Amino acid sequence: MIPALTIVSAVVAFPLVYSLWMSLADVNLLKTTGPAIELFGLRIPLFRFVGEANYARIFADPLYWGSVGRSLYFVAAFVIEATLVGLGMALVLQERFAGRTLMRSLLLIPWSLSRVVVGLLWIGLLDFEFGALNAALHRAGLIDTYIAFFKEGFTALNVLVSVYMWNQAPFATLLFLAGMQSIPVELHLAAEVDGAGYWQRLRYVTLPALRPILFLVLVLATVNGFLMLDLIYILTMGGPGYDTTTISWLGFQTAFNFFKFGPGAAILYTLTAFCLVLTFVYRFLMFRREAAA
Amino acid sequence: MSTTRRRFITQAGLGTAALLAEGGVRRAAADKPLNFAGWVFKPDTVKDYVEFYNKKFSGQVKYEAIPWAQYHPTMETRAFANEIVDVMYCNHNNRERWFENGLIRAIDDLPGADELKKKMAPANLDSLKSKDGSKVLGLPYFTSLFILIYNEPMLQAAGIKAPAKSWDELVEHCTKLKRDKASDTPFLPNWNNSPSGTMPQFMTDCFSEGAQVFDAKNRVIVDQEPGAAKAMERWQKVYKAGLVNPEVLTKTSSTDTHRLFWTGRYAYHTNHSYYLKTIAGEPENSKLAPKKAKMAMYPGTGQTYMWTDSYVVNAKTKVLDDAWKLVRFLGGNLNGDWYVQRQWCLISGLDNPYPEMYDHPEIIKSYDGWIDLKLLREQYKKGKVIAAYKEPWYSEYDTKAVPIVHNMIRGTLPVGQGLKDIVKLQRSLA
Repeated sequence: MIPALTIVSAVVAFPLVYSLWMSLADVNLLKTTGPAIELFGLRIPLFRFVGEANYARIFADPLYWGSVGRSLYFVAAFVIEATLVGLGMALVLQERFAGRTLMRSLLLIPWSLSRVVVGLLWIGLLDFEFGALNAALHRAGLIDTYIAFFKEGFTALNVLVSVYMWNQAPFATLLFLAGMQSIPVELHLAAEVDGAGYWQRLRYVTLPALRPILFLVLVLATVNGFLMLDLIYILTMGGPGYDTTTISWLGFQTAFNFFKFGPGAAILYTLTAFCLVLTFVYRFLMFRREAAA
Repeated sequence: MSTTRRRFITQAGLGTAALLAEGGVRRAAADKPLNFAGWVFKPDTVKDYVEFYNKKFSGQVKYEAIPWAQYHPTMETRAFANEIVDVMYCNHNNRERWFENGLIRAIDDLPGADELKKKMAPANLDSLKSKDGSKVLGLPYFTSLFILIYNEPMLQAAGIKAPAKSWDELVEHCTKLKRDKASDTPFLPNWNNSPSGTMPQFMTDCFSEGAQVFDAKNRVIVDQEPGAAKAMERWQKVYKAGLVNPEVLTKTSSTDTHRLFWTGRYAYHTNHSYYLKTIAGEPENSKLAPKKAKMAMYPGTGQTYMWTDSYVVNAKTKVLDDAWKLVRFLGGNLNGDWYVQRQWCLISGLDNPYPEMYDHPEIIKSYDGWIDLKLLREQYKKGKVIAAYKEPWYSEYDTKAVPIVHNMIRGTLPVGQGLKDIVKLQRSLA
């Protein structure tokens, strides 16, 4: 028990507490004199405590609130897309057809790719100058001039949503498939005997049984949506303007480009708060009836 | 013939063998290993330099390449963990902060530093100095500046006999090329979203219009400079007219941006000088090689933004003599040989602030394969350095000003307001 607790503390609790402390401190990694704690022979500087100053500072910055708005939009669009596409693909792959096993295997490829590779792949498809999609559309006579997918900020943000959905929806599919396979066949057979068609069985048997999985998918998609950073780095770097700057990108920039680790940690802790709040909202909305019963 | 990595290794090997055969190398092995780190730019080439150094000087240098995006934060977190990286790359934006916070030391008191300082172009030397001008913080890794590049075959095919000498002429050429369907987007300015893109390009074009960006106290003054407004109005105009690839605003590096010019579909490009080496000197990559893309003097005043990145010595190094020796090998002329500085010129067109290097026949011959060296030297005389990057607020200003400039370019923010916003941003951070 004690070794397990020690490992959990070292790996999870300490970084969590220390980073929370950093969000309340004036952090300069190059100035580590001053108060410190000793852990296993390591000197861990505590930096100067500044209380809520870092949070007050970021909340006073209009850029932060703009980023919050874009993050919420990004997460909402991504969660809806990833959940619907994931569920749709799972329903298709649940059916019996030739090549189903192969399709299930191929499905995992987008999810298994590194996000840097995903970004580069989609640049190859969408680029204004040499994108394969533009070339194909042009060759098919569907467009006269190439489309600049990243020219307008809102379009660029939606492209990011779709690319990320392409990358992540297979995982949702996998979870939904696992959930579907755990539904007793007898339930479907009984519904069929009662005269239920495909859509009725989906509505009254499959979807209710998938509720715990749906909750998991929503929570994971929400957290992943808020944390998404690498595609922004590869595809837009937060631009044009600030139009694809989300909280995660702002936090990353603040900490690692401006070397303001205190405010950077504060920004990223607000992101954690958003994730927690939304998790509780999902839980409340999905399980309130059960709770009432 | 340009120098390739293979050729470099061969030469290095032969050179070492010859020296060993002559007994010309004093084999005084370094007592302790020395850690050297840099960001990723031709890491195999740097590894070759280090191997060459270790063989020639019996060194124990351990080299590590770290991706550019994480490089400076990684160095800081390592310092935080009390790890000593004895010799490091440092870009100009971080040098002063590293010095003020005790991560690196000045080099003035080290043997041979004064001679090297005398050999450096004064503007580059200023650039390497601490904010108060009293100390030199490193030796140069490379220097560069913005240049104007043009696609000669495209201009000739359109009946344009000479590259633009003024901005008005450049816009006129681009308008004609678009109208004649010679190019969809003839102009490729370096408006990318990285620290090496939009803002250095902004300063360059302000300078070329005769505007100052910072005053003597490093405060941004672009709202008082008609030249800055003129440059921004021009940017807005060319963007609105569809003369520029609209996605250049979301390109993530100057490298990605310059590669677009390889296609031969653009007429004019503004970017760092060394990129012309790949555009005009690498036929395997670029349709504009050999020498179909050329450099022209920057329009307007001809002044462009110039900077110097550096090799620095860790203030806590326990092997100071060895660290300084390596830094002189990399950024100077250890034992009278500008070896690494020369190789960077030959391999990558990375310039350095030592004018005497450019009298070397090998360099003259190599540059002749991709650029008009005489014109480049003239351009360097008009290179303009700033001191504002030595301010603690500079990195944040430099990043946060990009969206303001992009909004001016896209016309979502009027030029007058945008320039005021840039000033306001700087004041809020200072």
